[in-house]
Amino acid sequence: MCPSPFSLRDSVWRGVCNNVNMSMNEPGNQDAALGKLLQEWRADAPLPPHFQQDVWRRIEGAQTSRAPSVWTAIARWIGTALPRPALAASYVAILLALGVTAGWTQARQETARVKGELGERYIRALDPYLVPRQ
Amino acid sequence: MKKGVVILLLGLALAAAAYGCIYFACTSSARNLERSSQPELAWLKEEFKLSDSEFQRICQLHEAYLPKCAEMCGMVEAQNHRVKTLLAATNQMTAEIESAIGESARLRGQCQRNMLQHFYEVSRTMPPEQGRRYLAWVQERTFLTSEGMMQEK
Repeated sequence: MCPSPFSLRDSVWRGVCNNVNMSMNEPGNQDAALGKLLQEWRADAPLPPHFQQDVWRRIEGAQTSRAPSVWTAIARWIGTALPRPALAASYVAILLALGVTAGWTQARQETARVKGELGERYIRALDPYLVPRQ
Repeated sequence: MKKGVVILLLGLALAAAAYGCIYFACTSSARNLERSSQPELAWLKEEFKLSDSEFQRICQLHEAYLPKCAEMCGMVEAQNHRVKTLLAATNQMTAEIESAIGESARLRGQCQRNMLQHFYEVSRTMPPEQGRRYLAWVQERTFLTSEGMMQEK
């Protein structure tokens, strides 16, 4: 007899029993010994402790490992989105603008520094009281 | 993927090239000033938008002033040394110290008169508006600052 249908294991067992019974009912199938043996078989081994939690942990672990990392997302973006003409043109234009702005800002600071120094040198050349003394 | 990487690198290369070109172009005037034979005067010409003839006249004034300035520098240095020696020799006010302090003040006054005269001459050589701006600028950095006094200490 099949065990009562209260768990996954029991459901599987019931399916096996049904199949065996169907096979037994088929004409010409006379393997009564096997049928008897299967019907007498009892799967009464206890489940390992924390079986359900372990199963769920493994499911969650598999899902987590499948979630894309940042680098994977960037690589996918570079591979799929960036080659689109509109996005590529915007990307190049933005980087170009950033380069121009950074160059101009740095150059302005450097020019102001050099001119400031030269102005101070001019004044120090004319005023003896501004000449650094030891 | 390959096309995307090419676009990515192209964008970065263009940004770097744009940075370099703009920086190089915008700092060329400063580099030219530094490379000139008299960077301070070259700066003066650019800052106060002087014509070649004005610049030439100002260079002459500058060259004529520098020996006087160097002479004053020597006198100020010698006087400072004298005051220092006198101060180290005693712990009270003496007639010599008073005289040395008076001489230091006289030298400072003379130095300032020479400077101011030079500034006026230079400013008169410039276009009027630039001349006024020059005078305000030099006075701010010489007469109206305490830096010289701080360095005297």
